[in-house]
Amino acid sequence: MMRNILLSAFAVVICVLPTRRAAGAEPVTVFAAASLGDCLKEATGLHQKKTGQLIRLNLGASSTLARQIEAGAPADLFFSADEAQMDKLQELSLIRTNSRVTRLSNTLVIVVPSDNPATFTSAAQLAQPAIKKIALAETKSVPAGIYAREYLTSQGLWRDLESKVVPTENVRAALAAVEAGNVEAAIVYKTDARISKRVRIACDIPAGEGPSIRYSLAITRDARSPAGAEQFEKFLSSPEAGDIFERFGFIVLPAAR
Amino acid sequence: MTAEEWQIVWFTTWVSFLSTLVILPPGLAMAWLLARWEWRGKSLVETLIALPMVMPPVATGLILLKLLGRRGPVGGFLHDLGIDVIFTWKGVLIALGVMSFPLLVRNARVAFEEVNPRLEQIARTLGASEWRVFVTVTAPLAARGIAAGMLLAFARALGEFGATIMVAGNIPGLTSTLSLAIYQSVQMGEDEHAFRLLAVSTALAFIAVWASEFLFRRRNHRR
Amino acid sequence: MILRLQNISLPLADFALDVSLEVGSRVTGLFGPSGAGKTSLLDLIAGLRKPASAFIELDGVTLIDTRSGINLPSRLRRISYVPQDLALFPHLNVRANVLYGHKPGATQEPAFRFDHVARVFEIERLLDRSIATLSGGEKQRVALARAILSSPKLLLLDEPLSSLDARLKNQILPFLQRIKNEFAIPMLYVTHQAEEAALLCDEVVSLERGRIVQRGTPAEVFVPGRSIAP
Repeated sequence: MMRNILLSAFAVVICVLPTRRAAGAEPVTVFAAASLGDCLKEATGLHQKKTGQLIRLNLGASSTLARQIEAGAPADLFFSADEAQMDKLQELSLIRTNSRVTRLSNTLVIVVPSDNPATFTSAAQLAQPAIKKIALAETKSVPAGIYAREYLTSQGLWRDLESKVVPTENVRAALAAVEAGNVEAAIVYKTDARISKRVRIACDIPAGEGPSIRYSLAITRDARSPAGAEQFEKFLSSPEAGDIFERFGFIVLPAAR
Repeated sequence: MTAEEWQIVWFTTWVSFLSTLVILPPGLAMAWLLARWEWRGKSLVETLIALPMVMPPVATGLILLKLLGRRGPVGGFLHDLGIDVIFTWKGVLIALGVMSFPLLVRNARVAFEEVNPRLEQIARTLGASEWRVFVTVTAPLAARGIAAGMLLAFARALGEFGATIMVAGNIPGLTSTLSLAIYQSVQMGEDEHAFRLLAVSTALAFIAVWASEFLFRRRNHRR
Repeated sequence: MILRLQNISLPLADFALDVSLEVGSRVTGLFGPSGAGKTSLLDLIAGLRKPASAFIELDGVTLIDTRSGINLPSRLRRISYVPQDLALFPHLNVRANVLYGHKPGATQEPAFRFDHVARVFEIERLLDRSIATLSGGEKQRVALARAILSSPKLLLLDEPLSSLDARLKNQILPFLQRIKNEFAIPMLYVTHQAEEAALLCDEVVSLERGRIVQRGTPAEVFVPGRSIAP
């Protein structure tokens, strides 16, 4: 008798739970490039406070995230560190084209462990024997790695440096490798270098010399919370969010697409 | 299969084989101690040895990374000697060795326990030193079980991923193993490449485990 | 040869082995029902078990003295042991088994040379065979030859004939007598069969529940008509 009552109560609870969740706002899932991690955390915190909208951040290499979206992962917004990954998804009709914006830019820097006082006048100094290993995000797929390789190739340095390269899964992993002292140098975004106290910038790669870095943003075609996604994207395009990005060192691009 | 893919297969097989050889002496010693001796804290040692089998491989990899990194206790010492482990094939070797060590010890221990201790005792009365008893009586009789253990350790090393990626990264031509390469290919959308590597990986693992089972079943062939 | 045992104390299943004994004759029988502690005593003498307390001396050499912490390892005791299951090495052939404890040149006596021993135990034609292919009687002889070839000062035999049928017993008995007569190695011979003890032993020590209950020549110990349950 008791057992039947408990079982029925259990069944009722099970049936009611999903409806309870549907009544509240569904979280908005944002797949974003690893380099955006810190500033997006602040931005989402602000947005959540203002609107009560729950945001879920999934950070990683833009190439990995694009693959996941391709395979059907439940993303509402995709914020990529390059246009190429976004183009790929657009070709596969996986994003809402009219929601696509190119929002941010960035610059590259060469970092070394903070206890190394060296400064490089140019990337050519990476060729010195004291630099045994250089961490780069995977240079064939991850935007940060592609940018770095593009730059080194344009400077005629790639062939000599290729054997020193330790590819990492994303740009933050490259940063971590320098922080731990397991590599002598890495090429990361300037915004990454600013976050870490355990690395120093040995050389700034001037925006003019470096590759054209473009972060693009779009709502996915199969977004489960399109309304929430639109609202968040509008926020990310606002001057308020722009201030946050600039504070972290990103270059905010003018509104025109 | 491209030349690059064969290089990955060759590297994986070679470094797995080498890691199995490297863990053999300490593995046999530990197995023998666990099989034949009792001491205080023995169960603690047994648990510690079993940990890599049960903990998430990336967790083990993280511990290794902290220990062997240039700023770590062991890594720092090695760095001063001019040896770097992280992001090199030595890192792969260590990761594979640590992950497959428990399998070897487990199998070798069973093999030693199945050797009739009476035989070892009689050997001693006939004047043999502990070392001679081990080499001429214990080890030969435990040989098949030990070989089965080595093959299992080898198979485990072939398939190791989590600890390896933490400690050695996935540097093409340098530290890229079969499992790391498969992961990478999938990441980059190179499915055909991934499936070819998957086929080789499966074949190798199949052979190793099948041979291990075969030896294990025949281990008590002569007692 | 004088084997001196004092204050032997070893806890066993239901009782403790508690023995003091001095043995000098050529073949001493250790007699008693199963479970009396005979095998345990042999294990102690050979150094295969650790006693709670013991003092054992062989020809003036202390083998173990728990009070002063002396414990000579088995390999240095020069005591050969033929256990009940013979413990022949299954992975070695007869020759390798028999020569296992043999150190060429360790003894000058021609009696202990390999060819002689092989002849005495009639195993010359078995030398290249594997242990698994031997009959019960052949295994027995190989075990005895192996024990002899390590030139022991004392030979311990644990029920060497008990697992054999009557025919084999009669076959092996002469070999045991040869050990006594040709090699002159003192033996401590465990058995629960009075007839064997009577045939081979110069002296018999009776053990019951870990204690010595009787001692003397076979004639003295085995009063005819008195049967002792195995």
